[in-house]
Amino acid sequence: MNALTGTGIVKHFGGIKALDGVDVAIEEGKILGLVGPNGSGKSTLINVLSGFYPADQGKVDFGGADLLRLGPHEIAGAGLARTFQIPRPFRTMTARENVALSYMFGQRRHSLAAARRAAGQWLEFTDLEEVGDLPIDQLTLHQLKFLELARALATEPTLLLLDEVLAGLNPTEVEESIRMIQRIHDQGVTLVIVEHLVRVVTALSSTLLVLDQGRVIARGHPEVVMKQPEVIRAYLGSKWEHA
Amino acid sequence: MTTRGKALIGFAVVAVVLNLVPTLVEAFDAPGFYVTFMFTAFFWIAQAVSWNILTGYSGYFSFGQGAWFGIGVYTTGILAVKHGWPFLLALPVAGVLAGLSGLVLGMVVFRLRKLGGEIFALTTLAIAFVLASVARLYSFIDGGRGIFMTGTPLPEFLGDFRTAMFRMTFVVAFLTVLTAYLLYESRIGWGLFAIRDDEPVAHGLGVPVFRYKMLALGINALFGGLMGGVWSLQIGFVTVDDVFNIRVPLFVILMSVLGGMKHWMGPVVGAVIIYSLTDRLNSAGLEDLNQVIIGGLLIVLVLAVREGIYLRLRERWKLSLAVFAAAMAIWTIFDLATSLIWDFSYASLITVGVALLPSRRRPGESEPPSAGVPQTAAASDRSPP
Amino acid sequence: MNEVLNQAIVSGLLIGGLYAVMSVGISLTWGVLKIINLAHFSFVLLGAYVTYELTTSFGWDPLLALLVVIPGGFLTGMIMQIFFELAKVDEFQSLIISFGIFIIFQSITRTIWSADFRRIGGDLNRYESMSFFIGDIAVQVAPLLAFCVAVAIAVGMSLLLGRTYFGKAVRAIVDDPEIARAYGIDVRRVAVILSGLATAFSATAGVFIATFQSLTPNMSFGWFGIVFPVVILGGLGSAVGALGAGVIVGVAAGVATTEWGPLSASLVTFLILIGALLFRPQGLFTRESST
Repeated sequence: MNALTGTGIVKHFGGIKALDGVDVAIEEGKILGLVGPNGSGKSTLINVLSGFYPADQGKVDFGGADLLRLGPHEIAGAGLARTFQIPRPFRTMTARENVALSYMFGQRRHSLAAARRAAGQWLEFTDLEEVGDLPIDQLTLHQLKFLELARALATEPTLLLLDEVLAGLNPTEVEESIRMIQRIHDQGVTLVIVEHLVRVVTALSSTLLVLDQGRVIARGHPEVVMKQPEVIRAYLGSKWEHA
Repeated sequence: MTTRGKALIGFAVVAVVLNLVPTLVEAFDAPGFYVTFMFTAFFWIAQAVSWNILTGYSGYFSFGQGAWFGIGVYTTGILAVKHGWPFLLALPVAGVLAGLSGLVLGMVVFRLRKLGGEIFALTTLAIAFVLASVARLYSFIDGGRGIFMTGTPLPEFLGDFRTAMFRMTFVVAFLTVLTAYLLYESRIGWGLFAIRDDEPVAHGLGVPVFRYKMLALGINALFGGLMGGVWSLQIGFVTVDDVFNIRVPLFVILMSVLGGMKHWMGPVVGAVIIYSLTDRLNSAGLEDLNQVIIGGLLIVLVLAVREGIYLRLRERWKLSLAVFAAAMAIWTIFDLATSLIWDFSYASLITVGVALLPSRRRPGESEPPSAGVPQTAAASDRSPP
Repeated sequence: MNEVLNQAIVSGLLIGGLYAVMSVGISLTWGVLKIINLAHFSFVLLGAYVTYELTTSFGWDPLLALLVVIPGGFLTGMIMQIFFELAKVDEFQSLIISFGIFIIFQSITRTIWSADFRRIGGDLNRYESMSFFIGDIAVQVAPLLAFCVAVAIAVGMSLLLGRTYFGKAVRAIVDDPEIARAYGIDVRRVAVILSGLATAFSATAGVFIATFQSLTPNMSFGWFGIVFPVVILGGLGSAVGALGAGVIVGVAAGVATTEWGPLSASLVTFLILIGALLFRPQGLFTRESST
């Protein structure tokens, strides 16, 4: 059963084809790893699926709706959420308020009073309870990334797109983040993770999707895919990390 | 009782107390100017608060308050004078027409994904001057001849002219402030604050940004126009130059920046202080100096007291109240100034000094980078990485 | 074709040059420094009044005022930018502050020169009535000079941006100030110089305005409706774009005035602004797409 099926997604920026006819199928309740060398279109795909960029062509079926025809807030209402690689919290609000706001406008609309009460549970889930009422500039990068998660989760999504959650974290923080991702997965949320740490992605994902220059060059079981010659070729010459 | 319940009772009390003023003024044979002073303050409160609902809450900076004001003024002028409508019937039309105009503007500018904030600001800047030209051009509006409003009949229950103005301006100002308050702690208010903070992210989290921005703009234009409609009577002889000039747009910015754009009370405080200041300057014969002072004040304020004085005063509210009460007492008892209004002005200025004391934040808590200063939507309109 | 219309088009073309010079300053600071500096309107106004003063009080030829106005404008622009840098203002603050400066200068201008219309008398200003004929079309020298200056600025800026180190630095900053800084470009210095240039351009526009228009402090308000359509239509930061857009706006306003009277001109220019916003917000003359 697919949570999301995308066909023929095309996105141009001026003369550059960031996405050149991408097909993507995300199985419900599973984790899809999205990898590829720099500039392959991973972030663009996330942005298109979540409505931040309008696509030029294509169709994305998500719970019966075509996501490419919806505005970002409607996509959120349909149950799709995303995090940002470089965290973008609301700086004029506290972490708790960030989460409460998210909950208010998420998949199921809630009142302000309910949101205030409920925010605590996501802060606890992401270990942010103690820093929940501090000004945002006092949170570490790791905490901000978890806030991204808390905020996305508060919209009660069925599908969550994680854009390089591990980037910029030290090994301990990476371990904690991996555990957090697994906890989210255990809640039944379908996940798409974009990561450069290939070893992590291969370990977490049930399916791997490899992009190169806007095209899908491989798709399948992580162990199998990473050994494919096209994939190795795509990565040759570009820097990538083994975790 | 909930905080909201208490606040609403507070609103009701204030409403009752204020409405006693005209009667009290008559009873004590005090100068009628006190009533005029107050209803002019109501005018500015409504303009500043309605402006802040858009700019302060959503971050979309508007230079166009003059447009809504002007539409309101001319609508009542045309309907009541040129077409003989009862004034109280023309008034809501003024508000609605201004509100709709705001929505039309929003339809054009808010639909543009990328340019939003700055373009919106500049379009609003141009709009008032264009409206002025249109008004001058078409004689069914003005045609360069002006509209003579003085003597327009008002219903008897409103009392004499001054009392009528007081009641009408009070109602509009009251509704405006009440709306600002209700929005503040509401879904819509929170949505607007999120838009101000980072619109694309807010959009992605499910905030219907277009709808909310339209709502803020519509409310802004509605109340600006409604108060403009009332004010046409005070202007007396309505001319294009008198109505479509820089004064209203400029003052609302100044009042809101001074009072604070993050809180619904900010513009109220700012309006009262700025209005009494300029009024006193005018009465002292220093009108020319007015604009230099206003401009200078704007610059100093936006640099020094970023979140506006209201929030600072609220941090030390006991001190602020005490200072104000003491100053008022000293000035009135020792008859240090020529009128009660002068006493009030001096007392307020001294109280403003309290706001200049360093911000009292809990130790270890730094001030967020843009506390109280709305980022223009342009600043937050970065495309995602 | 209609004689009157032809005349309107030619006159509109020339005055479009003036519009371009008026607009290029604010366009540059907006496009490169991302600051909307409303004080530019004051600089145009001051340039005009300083010219008026030098001519009427000291008998200078109006064009000689450029010798004072250009360095003065440059200096003012530099000081402004230095102030913005030192005070670490953000976008909102720069908008308010420049608005405050505009209001202050407005007031100062009114105090010094009063609200009465001022015009440099024909005896002191030979450009005012100078004109020649091409066929049946009258070409006024004063706006023609402004047009030539606009072309010079457009060409000059193109060369500057394309062929000099400074120009490359500017283009790098437009792309990404952080990276420009990382490559050793002194962003502050470039910003200050650019601001000086931009202000000098604005003040220069004022000189030409003084040669053939009547001055009154409130005239700067009328410029909002001209400059912003030109800036948007021409594309932020483009001097060439400003020239092209200036011409379009000038011709449109001129034709509108001829056909429907002077007051329709501001409506027409406003519609141009709205049209530009709706259909081509990046400007007519830039090569980028609108996403």
